[in-house]
Amino acid sequence: MKRILIIAASVLLALALAIPAVAADPVKIGVLVPLTGIVANGGKEMANGIDMAAKDKKTLLGRPIKLIVEDTRVKPAVAVSKAEKLVYQDKSVALIGVFSSGVGLALAKNIDKLNVPFVSTHVMTTKFYGLNPLVFRSGQLANDQTAVGNVEGILATPDLKKRKYYVLVHDYSWGHDAAKRFIALAKAKGVKVVNPDFDRAPIKTKNWSTYISKIKASGADGIYIALITDVIPRFMKQANEFGLMKTCRLVSGAAPGAVDLENAGTAGVGIFGASDYAWDLENFPGYQAKAKDWNTRYYKMYKAIPCDAAAHSYVGAMNLFKAIEKAGSTDPQKIAAAIRGISYDGPYGKVYICPGDNCMRNDAVLTETVKAPKNPYGATIYMKVLKVFPAKELGPPCKN
Amino acid sequence: MFAITVDIILNSLVLGGIFVIMGVGLNIIYGLNRVMNLAHGALYALGAYFGFSVVAVGGNYFLALLIAPIIVGILGLVIERVLITPMRKRSMIYTLILTYGLMFVIDGLIKFFWGVETRFIHLPEFMQGTVSLGSASYPVFRLVILIGIAAVVAALMLLLGRTRLGINMRAASEIPEMVSACGVNVRGVQISGFVLGCMLAGTAGVLAGPLFTVFPIMGHDMLISSFVVVVIGGLGSLRGAVIAALMIGFVQTLAEFFITEMAMVIVYMLMALILVIKPLGILGEGKFE
Repeated sequence: MKRILIIAASVLLALALAIPAVAADPVKIGVLVPLTGIVANGGKEMANGIDMAAKDKKTLLGRPIKLIVEDTRVKPAVAVSKAEKLVYQDKSVALIGVFSSGVGLALAKNIDKLNVPFVSTHVMTTKFYGLNPLVFRSGQLANDQTAVGNVEGILATPDLKKRKYYVLVHDYSWGHDAAKRFIALAKAKGVKVVNPDFDRAPIKTKNWSTYISKIKASGADGIYIALITDVIPRFMKQANEFGLMKTCRLVSGAAPGAVDLENAGTAGVGIFGASDYAWDLENFPGYQAKAKDWNTRYYKMYKAIPCDAAAHSYVGAMNLFKAIEKAGSTDPQKIAAAIRGISYDGPYGKVYICPGDNCMRNDAVLTETVKAPKNPYGATIYMKVLKVFPAKELGPPCKN
Repeated sequence: MFAITVDIILNSLVLGGIFVIMGVGLNIIYGLNRVMNLAHGALYALGAYFGFSVVAVGGNYFLALLIAPIIVGILGLVIERVLITPMRKRSMIYTLILTYGLMFVIDGLIKFFWGVETRFIHLPEFMQGTVSLGSASYPVFRLVILIGIAAVVAALMLLLGRTRLGINMRAASEIPEMVSACGVNVRGVQISGFVLGCMLAGTAGVLAGPLFTVFPIMGHDMLISSFVVVVIGGLGSLRGAVIAALMIGFVQTLAEFFITEMAMVIVYMLMALILVIKPLGILGEGKFE
């Protein structure tokens, strides 16, 4: 009897020692963001947002969360090889992040082989709707939604409504998709576009002078751009130099990066466009409390201006974390099933992933960059919220 | 139409002018030292960052234009003495690989000291507006850049054509043994050439910084464009570099205006075509004149 008790006690002791070891085994999430290249600022903000979500969530399935961050360098091939490393070597149970539709589509093409859910927080191409059962968009608006926001915004603003628009986009899948969506909708709603075949600038463009000459030559007095966020202030600066902004108003398919906006100074004033988030939501009825809380905590944690890139990365990560908890497992298929239909009430209100197409529906803001009033974040230029669009106004309808 | 023509001509000259300074710098280094400096683009970026810092701490842009190239030149001297000199007797491939590695070291140092975000060099108030040119208008700053480029080219012509150092440089690029036999310190001339080339990269960086904004890998594309200039103009040929740079400036600007997607394809096709017709470039190799 005594021997049995000793054995039983030993087994219990061994189990007691083993349990914390299992419990301490973290749930690993692979984070793919650009940390070098022209969108490095945006990548840093994305990583901050996901990190903040992990800190807020603390644990998943009773285990710590471990984020493994890899730099995609905004190159599809690099992103795919980093994803392979994150899944096969690091044993990540899901992938999150990714800037650029080109990178997102390349990763989506390989997702069946990787066999983990991939939650994109930044890919805007409409090709993501229902692309693959393991691929999700959570956080960022899609191009069709941004186009609705922008065209509605133009129509609601007399000074913008009467203008003729020159469409200039970055020459890759997102830019083309954004241009086509905007032009089709503008045409349908009576907004004039002077170059229906739109102008495509290589991503590496630094010298915008020729494009500015083309805009001048077209006779347009409005410009619609779909340029990578960090590039927008650069374009604005050169457009200001040439005096273009004295006669033209600018509508953007993407929100400018917060850091670049600050660095550009007054050259960044006058960018009009629809986006998910702006820290000014803390002054907008219905969103005040949650936005203010998120902004304050983000600023405290990262000593950086709260921005949309961080906010929708945060929301994307929260959706993923909630889904893992709901799945009760790290099994990829179970997580993917749980993401469909998941919802989260965060800094920009309640969002949900449409189970029919794996893409998020959320409220969005129409903003214009203006000089900032005194604020706790030290911003001198900010995206002033002009209007909030309810999710169903932006569409597309969610079919289960 | 007049306004657009003015825009295109001046934009081409600005772009071509930056290529001139970069291409000539690269060619001076190659012509005198037989070193293909792959860190030239990174030195251009460093020039822009030093310029940014001078302005950021309250200095004037013109002061930045003076100080930044000197700092890059001093750095060039250190690079020459510490890295290039020990490799001189070896094949050119060694310095090629060495400067390739150096490019990444400088990129890393830029990220470490200045961070990854885009920086804007703020200009004096009077340079921020536009100036009327008949029915056209053009940014004052870009005209200042054009004047700056013209001044740099004029100073180079004076240096190479009218000073003892310049004459020695030209001679040493062709027959160093003969120059040495005449009692000229050829090593000193070679070192001066290396430092001058680096200073030109730094100057191009400060001039281009406010144009294209300042960011860590800004030198990569510029290095490629500079090589296109050098290859078209002829390795080591200064006059060839000037002609090629202006040609590329015009071709690229016109192509961007009329057939945007094909702009760079046309530039590289032009390079290929010239190399087929004249394999040593427009003015051939080593015409350091």
